[in-house]
Amino acid sequence: MTSKRSQPELKPKPLDALVVLAVVLLAVGAAWLSYGGKGEGALTATVKHRGQVVAQVELSSLTEEKAVSIDGAYHLTITLDKTGAAVTDSDCPGQDCVHTGRITRAGQSIVCLPEQVIVTLEGKTPSADVILG
Amino acid sequence: MCAALAALMLVSLTACGKTEEPERQELFAMDTYMSLAAYGDGAQEALAAAAREINRLEQELSRTVATSDIYKLNDSGSAVVSEETAALLKNAMTYSAATGGLFDVTVAPLVSLWGITTDSPRVPERSEIDALLPLVGSGHIHMDGNSVTLDDGCAVDLGGIAKGYASDRVAEVLRQYAVTGAAVSLGGNVYVCGQKSDGSAWSVAVQDPKNTGAYAMTLELTDVFAVTSGGYQRYFTGPDGTVYQHILDPRTGYPAQTDLLSVTVIGQNGTLADAYSTALYVMGEQAACDFWRQSGGDFDLVLITADGRVLYTPGLADHISQKGADYDFQEVSA
Repeated sequence: MTSKRSQPELKPKPLDALVVLAVVLLAVGAAWLSYGGKGEGALTATVKHRGQVVAQVELSSLTEEKAVSIDGAYHLTITLDKTGAAVTDSDCPGQDCVHTGRITRAGQSIVCLPEQVIVTLEGKTPSADVILG
Repeated sequence: MCAALAALMLVSLTACGKTEEPERQELFAMDTYMSLAAYGDGAQEALAAAAREINRLEQELSRTVATSDIYKLNDSGSAVVSEETAALLKNAMTYSAATGGLFDVTVAPLVSLWGITTDSPRVPERSEIDALLPLVGSGHIHMDGNSVTLDDGCAVDLGGIAKGYASDRVAEVLRQYAVTGAAVSLGGNVYVCGQKSDGSAWSVAVQDPKNTGAYAMTLELTDVFAVTSGGYQRYFTGPDGTVYQHILDPRTGYPAQTDLLSVTVIGQNGTLADAYSTALYVMGEQAACDFWRQSGGDFDLVLITADGRVLYTPGLADHISQKGADYDFQEVSA
Protein backbone atom coordinates (compact mmCIF):
# COMPACT_ATOMS: atom_id res chain seq x y z
CA MET A 1 0.00 0.00 0.00
CA THR A 2 1.39 3.34 -1.00
CA SER A 3 0.36 6.78 0.03
CA LYS A 4 0.72 9.84 -2.11
CA ARG A 5 2.43 12.71 -0.26
CA SER A 6 0.95 16.01 -1.20
CA GLN A 7 3.32 18.93 -2.14
CA PRO A 8 2.97 22.10 -0.07
CA GLU A 9 1.12 24.76 -1.87
CA LEU A 10 3.45 27.63 -3.00
CA LYS A 11 1.52 30.77 -3.42
CA PRO A 12 3.45 34.08 -3.26
CA LYS A 13 2.11 36.48 -0.73
CA PRO A 14 2.49 40.27 -0.72
CA LEU A 15 5.01 40.04 2.14
CA ASP A 16 7.25 37.72 0.04
CA ALA A 17 7.43 40.34 -2.69
CA LEU A 18 8.54 42.92 -0.15
CA VAL A 19 11.29 40.61 1.10
CA VAL A 20 12.49 39.99 -2.48
CA LEU A 21 12.52 43.73 -3.11
CA ALA A 22 14.52 44.30 0.08
CA VAL A 23 17.07 41.65 -0.96
CA VAL A 24 17.45 43.19 -4.42
CA LEU A 25 17.82 46.71 -3.04
CA LEU A 26 20.40 45.64 -0.49
CA ALA A 27 22.36 43.69 -3.12
CA VAL A 28 22.37 46.68 -5.47
CA GLY A 29 23.42 48.94 -2.60
CA ALA A 30 26.23 46.57 -1.66
CA ALA A 31 27.46 46.36 -5.23
CA TRP A 32 27.36 50.16 -5.57
CA LEU A 33 29.31 50.65 -2.36
CA SER A 34 31.84 48.02 -3.39
CA TYR A 35 32.38 48.80 -7.02
CA GLY A 36 30.49 51.86 -8.15
CA GLY A 37 30.46 54.50 -5.49
CA LYS A 38 34.08 55.50 -5.95
CA GLY A 39 35.07 53.31 -8.85
CA GLU A 40 36.65 54.57 -12.05
CA GLY A 41 33.29 56.07 -12.92
CA ALA A 42 33.46 58.34 -9.86
CA LEU A 43 36.68 60.24 -10.27
CA THR A 44 38.10 62.81 -7.91
CA ALA A 45 40.62 65.28 -9.31
CA THR A 46 43.23 66.61 -6.90
CA VAL A 47 45.46 69.54 -7.78
CA LYS A 48 48.61 70.01 -5.73
CA HIS A 49 50.89 73.01 -5.99
CA ARG A 50 54.26 72.77 -4.29
CA GLY A 51 52.99 70.03 -1.99
CA GLN A 52 49.74 71.78 -1.00
CA VAL A 53 46.31 70.63 -2.15
CA VAL A 54 44.75 73.64 -3.87
CA ALA A 55 41.68 71.93 -5.32
CA GLN A 56 39.89 68.64 -4.87
CA VAL A 57 36.82 68.10 -7.01
CA GLU A 58 34.55 65.12 -7.50
CA LEU A 59 34.17 65.28 -11.25
CA SER A 60 30.69 63.79 -11.37
CA SER A 61 29.43 66.79 -9.39
CA LEU A 62 30.43 69.22 -12.14
CA THR A 63 27.68 70.57 -14.32
CA GLU A 64 30.05 72.64 -16.43
CA GLU A 65 33.80 73.00 -16.96
CA LYS A 66 35.71 74.26 -13.96
CA ALA A 67 39.00 76.11 -14.32
CA VAL A 68 41.64 75.97 -11.59
CA SER A 69 44.33 78.65 -11.88
CA ILE A 70 47.84 78.30 -10.55
CA ASP A 71 49.77 81.51 -10.07
CA GLY A 72 53.38 81.06 -9.15
CA ALA A 73 56.55 81.69 -11.08
CA TYR A 74 54.52 80.28 -13.96
CA HIS A 75 50.78 80.41 -14.60
CA LEU A 76 48.73 77.34 -15.38
CA THR A 77 45.08 76.81 -16.15
CA ILE A 78 43.75 73.38 -15.32
CA THR A 79 40.39 72.55 -16.83
CA LEU A 80 38.21 69.96 -15.13
CA ASP A 81 35.01 68.52 -16.49
CA LYS A 82 32.73 65.58 -15.72
CA THR A 83 35.07 63.02 -17.25
CA GLY A 84 38.63 64.27 -16.97
CA ALA A 85 41.27 66.93 -16.48
CA ALA A 86 43.83 68.75 -18.61
CA VAL A 87 46.33 71.55 -18.31
CA THR A 88 44.87 73.72 -21.04
CA ASP A 89 47.25 76.64 -20.72
CA SER A 90 50.67 77.22 -19.21
CA ASP A 91 53.51 79.65 -19.69
CA CYS A 92 56.05 77.20 -18.27
CA PRO A 93 59.04 76.21 -20.39
CA GLY A 94 58.87 72.79 -21.96
CA GLN A 95 55.05 72.63 -21.89
CA ASP A 96 55.22 68.95 -20.89
CA CYS A 97 52.09 69.41 -18.77
CA VAL A 98 50.14 70.72 -21.77
CA HIS A 99 51.58 68.02 -24.04
CA THR A 100 50.36 65.34 -21.62
CA GLY A 101 46.86 66.12 -22.83
CA ARG A 102 43.67 65.08 -21.13
CA ILE A 103 43.57 62.40 -18.44
CA THR A 104 40.38 60.46 -17.82
CA ARG A 105 41.27 57.40 -15.73
CA ALA A 106 41.94 56.79 -12.04
CA GLY A 107 45.67 56.60 -11.41
CA GLN A 108 46.64 59.00 -14.19
CA SER A 109 48.40 62.27 -13.49
CA ILE A 110 49.72 65.42 -15.14
CA VAL A 111 52.91 66.99 -13.83
CA CYS A 112 54.34 70.47 -14.34
CA LEU A 113 57.91 70.19 -13.13
CA PRO A 114 58.95 73.86 -13.14
CA GLU A 115 55.94 74.95 -11.08
CA GLN A 116 55.68 71.65 -9.13
CA VAL A 117 52.02 71.12 -9.96
CA ILE A 118 50.49 67.66 -9.93
CA VAL A 119 46.98 66.88 -11.15
CA THR A 120 45.86 63.37 -10.23
CA LEU A 121 42.68 61.42 -10.81
CA GLU A 122 41.65 59.09 -8.03
CA GLY A 123 38.98 56.45 -7.81
CA LYS A 124 38.40 53.43 -5.66
CA THR A 125 39.58 51.08 -8.39
CA PRO A 126 42.57 52.64 -10.18
CA SER A 127 42.93 51.61 -13.77
CA ALA A 128 46.57 50.72 -13.02
CA ASP A 129 48.93 50.89 -10.06
CA VAL A 130 51.78 52.43 -12.03
CA ILE A 131 51.89 53.99 -15.49
CA LEU A 132 54.88 53.77 -17.81
CA GLY A 133 55.49 56.53 -20.28
CA MET B 1 15.49 35.73 7.73
CA CYS B 2 15.99 36.84 4.13
CA ALA B 3 16.44 40.41 5.26
CA ALA B 4 19.08 39.30 7.73
CA LEU B 5 20.90 37.39 4.96
CA ALA B 6 20.77 40.39 2.69
CA ALA B 7 22.19 42.60 5.41
CA LEU B 8 24.98 40.08 5.94
CA MET B 9 25.69 40.11 2.20
CA LEU B 10 25.87 43.91 2.28
CA VAL B 11 28.43 43.83 5.07
CA SER B 12 30.53 41.07 3.49
CA LEU B 13 30.52 42.57 -0.01
CA THR B 14 31.53 45.95 1.32
CA ALA B 15 34.35 44.35 3.28
CA CYS B 16 35.55 42.51 0.14
CA GLY B 17 35.87 45.76 -1.74
CA LYS B 18 38.23 47.27 0.82
CA THR B 19 41.95 46.96 0.34
CA GLU B 20 44.55 48.36 2.66
CA GLU B 21 45.96 51.67 1.45
CA PRO B 22 49.74 51.73 0.99
CA GLU B 23 52.04 54.30 2.55
CA ARG B 24 52.90 56.94 -0.03
CA GLN B 25 55.69 59.41 -0.66
CA GLU B 26 55.98 62.04 -3.39
CA LEU B 27 58.94 64.17 -4.30
CA PHE B 28 60.38 66.32 -7.05
CA ALA B 29 63.98 65.32 -7.68
CA MET B 30 66.33 64.64 -10.58
CA ASP B 31 64.29 66.97 -12.76
CA THR B 32 61.21 64.80 -12.49
CA TYR B 33 58.24 63.87 -10.30
CA MET B 34 58.55 60.70 -8.27
CA SER B 35 55.90 58.71 -6.46
CA LEU B 36 56.51 55.79 -4.15
CA ALA B 37 54.01 53.44 -2.50
CA ALA B 38 54.70 50.56 -0.15
CA TYR B 39 52.95 48.04 2.07
CA GLY B 40 54.29 46.50 5.27
CA ASP B 41 55.13 47.41 8.85
CA GLY B 42 58.28 49.18 7.74
CA ALA B 43 56.75 50.96 4.76
CA GLN B 44 56.80 54.48 6.17
CA GLU B 45 60.41 54.26 7.29
CA ALA B 46 61.41 52.58 4.04
CA LEU B 47 59.90 55.31 1.88
CA ALA B 48 61.52 58.06 3.94
CA ALA B 49 64.87 56.29 3.55
CA ALA B 50 64.27 55.87 -0.19
CA ALA B 51 63.55 59.60 -0.56
CA ARG B 52 66.76 60.44 1.30
CA GLU B 53 68.70 58.13 -1.00
CA ILE B 54 67.22 59.78 -4.10
CA ASN B 55 68.11 63.24 -2.83
CA ARG B 56 71.63 62.06 -2.02
CA LEU B 57 72.05 60.71 -5.54
CA GLU B 58 70.83 63.96 -7.07
CA GLN B 59 73.50 65.86 -5.16
CA GLU B 60 76.13 63.48 -6.49
CA LEU B 61 75.05 62.91 -10.09
CA SER B 62 73.27 66.08 -11.24
CA ARG B 63 74.85 68.04 -14.01
CA THR B 64 73.54 71.32 -12.59
CA VAL B 65 74.28 70.99 -8.86
CA ALA B 66 77.55 72.88 -8.43
CA THR B 67 78.90 70.51 -5.79
CA SER B 68 78.18 67.29 -7.68
CA ASP B 69 80.83 64.97 -9.08
CA ILE B 70 79.45 65.43 -12.58
CA TYR B 71 79.33 69.23 -12.40
CA LYS B 72 82.94 69.33 -11.21
CA LEU B 73 84.02 66.91 -13.92
CA ASN B 74 82.34 68.91 -16.68
CA ASP B 75 83.51 72.21 -15.25
CA SER B 76 87.20 71.42 -15.01
CA GLY B 77 87.54 68.53 -17.45
CA SER B 78 88.84 66.19 -14.78
CA ALA B 79 87.88 65.17 -11.27
CA VAL B 80 88.34 62.52 -8.66
CA VAL B 81 84.81 61.24 -8.25
CA SER B 82 83.21 58.92 -5.73
CA GLU B 83 83.47 55.20 -6.20
CA GLU B 84 79.76 55.18 -6.94
CA THR B 85 79.98 57.84 -9.66
CA ALA B 86 82.97 56.08 -11.19
CA ALA B 87 81.09 52.78 -11.27
CA LEU B 88 78.09 54.43 -12.90
CA LEU B 89 80.28 56.09 -15.53
CA LYS B 90 81.85 52.71 -16.28
CA ASN B 91 78.39 51.19 -16.65
CA ALA B 92 77.42 54.02 -18.98
CA MET B 93 80.47 53.30 -21.12
CA THR B 94 79.58 49.59 -21.19
CA TYR B 95 76.03 50.36 -22.35
CA SER B 96 77.38 52.77 -24.94
CA ALA B 97 79.64 50.05 -26.35
CA ALA B 98 76.80 47.50 -26.30
CA THR B 99 74.43 49.81 -28.19
CA GLY B 100 76.93 51.05 -30.76
CA GLY B 101 76.96 54.46 -29.13
CA LEU B 102 73.19 55.00 -29.41
CA PHE B 103 73.11 55.49 -25.66
CA ASP B 104 75.94 57.83 -24.79
CA VAL B 105 76.37 60.16 -21.83
CA THR B 106 78.80 62.33 -23.83
CA VAL B 107 75.87 63.67 -25.83
CA ALA B 108 75.76 66.45 -23.20
CA PRO B 109 77.14 69.29 -25.41
CA LEU B 110 74.42 68.59 -27.99
CA VAL B 111 71.72 68.49 -25.30
CA SER B 112 72.92 71.94 -24.18
CA LEU B 113 73.00 73.21 -27.76
CA TRP B 114 69.39 72.24 -28.38
CA GLY B 115 68.32 73.43 -24.92
CA ILE B 116 65.41 71.03 -25.13
CA THR B 117 64.77 70.85 -21.40
CA THR B 118 65.56 74.49 -20.75
CA ASP B 119 63.48 77.66 -20.86
CA SER B 120 64.60 78.38 -24.40
CA PRO B 121 64.85 75.34 -26.69
CA ARG B 122 65.95 76.18 -30.21
CA VAL B 123 66.84 74.57 -33.52
CA PRO B 124 70.59 74.94 -33.98
CA GLU B 125 72.32 75.57 -37.29
CA ARG B 126 73.74 72.50 -39.02
CA SER B 127 77.22 73.96 -38.61
CA GLU B 128 76.76 74.22 -34.84
CA ILE B 129 75.77 70.56 -34.63
CA ASP B 130 78.63 69.48 -36.88
CA ALA B 131 81.05 71.34 -34.64
CA LEU B 132 79.93 69.40 -31.58
CA LEU B 133 79.43 65.92 -33.06
CA PRO B 134 83.15 65.04 -32.79
CA LEU B 135 82.85 65.54 -29.01
CA VAL B 136 80.32 62.71 -28.72
CA GLY B 137 81.57 59.22 -27.92
CA SER B 138 82.54 57.36 -24.77
CA GLY B 139 86.12 57.20 -26.04
CA HIS B 140 86.40 60.76 -24.80
CA ILE B 141 86.08 59.57 -21.18
CA HIS B 142 89.31 58.39 -19.59
CA MET B 143 89.21 56.64 -16.24
CA ASP B 144 91.94 55.62 -13.88
CA GLY B 145 90.24 54.27 -10.80
CA ASN B 146 88.11 57.12 -9.48
CA SER B 147 90.04 59.71 -11.44
CA VAL B 148 88.15 60.78 -14.55
CA THR B 149 89.34 62.99 -17.39
CA LEU B 150 87.37 64.25 -20.37
CA ASP B 151 88.84 65.29 -23.70
CA ASP B 152 88.76 69.03 -24.39
CA GLY B 153 85.28 70.42 -24.91
CA CYS B 154 83.54 67.20 -23.86
CA ALA B 155 80.96 66.85 -21.13
CA VAL B 156 78.80 64.10 -19.67
CA ASP B 157 75.14 64.07 -18.71
CA LEU B 158 73.87 61.11 -16.71
CA GLY B 159 70.23 62.12 -17.29
CA GLY B 160 69.61 59.01 -19.36
CA ILE B 161 70.79 56.63 -16.69
CA ALA B 162 70.70 58.30 -13.25
CA LYS B 163 67.01 57.68 -12.57
CA GLY B 164 67.43 54.04 -13.53
CA TYR B 165 70.36 53.80 -11.15
CA ALA B 166 68.27 55.54 -8.47
CA SER B 167 65.58 52.88 -8.94
CA ASP B 168 68.22 50.19 -8.35
CA ARG B 169 69.29 51.94 -5.17
CA VAL B 170 65.68 52.42 -4.00
CA ALA B 171 65.11 48.68 -4.47
CA GLU B 172 68.14 48.03 -2.31
CA VAL B 173 66.88 50.41 0.38
CA LEU B 174 63.40 48.85 0.41
CA ARG B 175 64.93 45.41 0.94
CA GLN B 176 66.38 46.65 4.23
CA TYR B 177 62.94 47.28 5.71
CA ALA B 178 59.84 45.26 6.52
CA VAL B 179 58.14 45.94 3.19
CA THR B 180 55.79 43.35 1.72
CA GLY B 181 55.21 45.14 -1.55
CA ALA B 182 56.15 48.39 -3.26
CA ALA B 183 55.58 50.29 -6.49
CA VAL B 184 57.96 53.09 -7.28
CA SER B 185 57.91 55.46 -10.24
CA LEU B 186 60.88 57.78 -10.55
CA GLY B 187 59.66 59.86 -13.47
CA GLY B 188 58.64 56.77 -15.41
CA ASN B 189 61.48 54.59 -14.17
CA VAL B 190 59.39 51.97 -12.42
CA TYR B 191 60.25 49.31 -9.86
CA VAL B 192 57.64 46.95 -8.45
CA CYS B 193 58.24 44.27 -5.84
CA GLY B 194 56.29 41.93 -3.60
CA GLN B 195 52.53 42.05 -3.59
CA LYS B 196 49.66 44.40 -2.96
CA SER B 197 47.66 43.99 0.26
CA ASP B 198 45.25 41.62 -1.48
CA GLY B 199 48.13 39.36 -2.57
CA SER B 200 48.00 40.34 -6.23
CA ALA B 201 50.82 41.55 -8.49
CA TRP B 202 51.08 45.19 -9.57
CA SER B 203 49.16 46.44 -12.59
CA VAL B 204 51.67 48.31 -14.73
CA ALA B 205 50.13 50.15 -17.66
CA VAL B 206 52.04 51.26 -20.75
CA GLN B 207 50.76 54.67 -21.82
CA ASP B 208 49.16 54.87 -25.25
CA PRO B 209 51.44 57.38 -27.02
CA LYS B 210 48.58 58.50 -29.26
CA ASN B 211 45.94 58.94 -26.58
CA THR B 212 46.72 60.14 -23.08
CA GLY B 213 43.36 58.86 -21.85
CA ALA B 214 44.20 55.27 -22.74
CA TYR B 215 46.77 52.56 -22.20
CA ALA B 216 48.38 50.54 -24.97
CA MET B 217 48.52 47.56 -22.64
CA THR B 218 48.53 46.56 -18.98
CA LEU B 219 50.90 44.02 -17.46
CA GLU B 220 50.73 42.27 -14.10
CA LEU B 221 54.28 42.42 -12.78
CA THR B 222 56.36 42.07 -9.66
CA ASP B 223 60.05 42.10 -8.74
CA VAL B 224 61.12 43.88 -11.93
CA PHE B 225 62.27 47.24 -13.21
CA ALA B 226 60.53 48.82 -16.19
CA VAL B 227 61.34 51.97 -18.14
CA THR B 228 59.62 53.57 -21.12
CA SER B 229 61.26 55.99 -23.55
CA GLY B 230 59.36 57.93 -26.18
CA GLY B 231 59.26 61.33 -27.73
CA TYR B 232 55.57 62.04 -27.35
CA GLN B 233 55.59 64.13 -24.17
CA ARG B 234 58.86 66.02 -24.05
CA TYR B 235 59.21 68.01 -27.21
CA PHE B 236 59.09 71.53 -28.57
CA THR B 237 57.76 73.05 -31.76
CA GLY B 238 60.13 75.00 -34.00
CA PRO B 239 59.28 78.31 -35.70
CA ASP B 240 58.24 76.46 -38.88
CA GLY B 241 55.91 74.14 -36.95
CA THR B 242 58.25 71.15 -36.94
CA VAL B 243 58.08 69.10 -33.75
CA TYR B 244 61.43 68.26 -32.17
CA GLN B 245 61.36 65.57 -29.49
CA HIS B 246 63.91 65.40 -26.70
CA ILE B 247 65.80 62.17 -27.47
CA LEU B 248 68.82 62.97 -29.61
CA ASP B 249 70.48 60.53 -31.99
CA PRO B 250 74.16 60.69 -31.03
CA ARG B 251 75.10 59.81 -34.63
CA THR B 252 73.43 62.80 -36.22
CA GLY B 253 73.03 65.31 -33.40
CA TYR B 254 69.36 65.69 -34.32
CA PRO B 255 66.27 64.34 -32.52
CA ALA B 256 65.92 60.63 -33.25
CA GLN B 257 64.09 59.74 -36.46
CA THR B 258 62.50 56.43 -35.58
CA ASP B 259 59.61 54.20 -36.57
CA LEU B 260 58.80 53.67 -32.90
CA LEU B 261 56.53 55.73 -30.66
CA SER B 262 57.83 54.20 -27.45
CA VAL B 263 60.09 51.48 -26.13
CA THR B 264 59.62 49.77 -22.77
CA VAL B 265 62.41 47.67 -21.31
CA ILE B 266 61.55 45.32 -18.43
CA GLY B 267 64.18 43.42 -16.51
CA GLN B 268 66.18 42.91 -13.36
CA ASN B 269 68.39 45.98 -13.63
CA GLY B 270 66.96 49.50 -13.54
CA THR B 271 70.13 51.18 -14.82
CA LEU B 272 70.31 48.90 -17.83
CA ALA B 273 66.60 49.30 -18.53
CA ASP B 274 66.96 53.10 -18.48
CA ALA B 275 69.93 53.11 -20.87
CA TYR B 276 68.55 50.51 -23.25
CA SER B 277 65.06 52.03 -23.51
CA THR B 278 66.66 55.21 -24.89
CA ALA B 279 69.06 53.39 -27.22
CA LEU B 280 66.43 51.01 -28.60
CA TYR B 281 64.07 53.90 -29.26
CA VAL B 282 66.78 55.52 -31.38
CA MET B 283 67.54 52.17 -33.11
CA GLY B 284 64.03 51.64 -34.44
CA GLU B 285 61.96 48.47 -34.66
CA GLN B 286 64.14 46.09 -36.62
CA ALA B 287 67.43 46.88 -34.92
CA ALA B 288 65.75 46.87 -31.49
CA CYS B 289 64.33 43.38 -32.09
CA ASP B 290 67.73 42.15 -33.32
CA PHE B 291 69.41 43.70 -30.29
CA TRP B 292 66.98 41.88 -27.99
CA ARG B 293 67.62 38.55 -29.75
CA GLN B 294 71.38 38.99 -29.43
CA SER B 295 71.05 39.90 -25.74
CA GLY B 296 70.05 36.35 -24.92
CA GLY B 297 66.76 37.35 -23.34
CA ASP B 298 68.26 39.28 -20.42
CA PHE B 299 65.29 41.63 -20.54
CA ASP B 300 61.85 41.93 -22.08
CA LEU B 301 60.57 44.53 -24.51
CA VAL B 302 57.39 46.29 -25.52
CA LEU B 303 57.73 48.29 -28.73
CA ILE B 304 54.90 50.53 -29.91
CA THR B 305 55.31 51.26 -33.59
CA ALA B 306 54.17 54.32 -35.50
CA ASP B 307 52.02 52.11 -37.73
CA GLY B 308 49.87 50.89 -34.84
CA ARG B 309 51.47 47.65 -33.63
CA VAL B 310 52.50 46.58 -30.15
CA LEU B 311 55.41 44.15 -30.26
CA TYR B 312 56.19 42.23 -27.07
CA THR B 313 58.76 39.58 -26.22
CA PRO B 314 57.57 36.07 -25.26
CA GLY B 315 58.50 36.47 -21.58
CA LEU B 316 55.66 38.97 -21.20
CA ALA B 317 52.92 36.91 -22.84
CA ASP B 318 51.60 35.49 -19.57
CA HIS B 319 51.71 38.86 -17.82
CA ILE B 320 49.46 40.81 -20.19
CA SER B 321 46.11 41.54 -18.56
CA GLN B 322 44.76 44.10 -21.03
CA LYS B 323 45.42 44.95 -24.65
CA GLY B 324 44.61 48.33 -26.14
CA ALA B 325 41.88 48.05 -28.76
CA ASP B 326 43.62 50.43 -31.15
CA TYR B 327 46.69 48.26 -31.65
CA ASP B 328 47.62 45.07 -33.42
CA PHE B 329 49.53 42.88 -30.94
CA GLN B 330 52.41 40.72 -32.15
CA GLU B 331 54.85 38.55 -30.23
CA VAL B 332 58.48 39.07 -31.20
CA SER B 333 60.01 35.81 -32.44
CA ALA B 334 63.01 34.63 -30.45
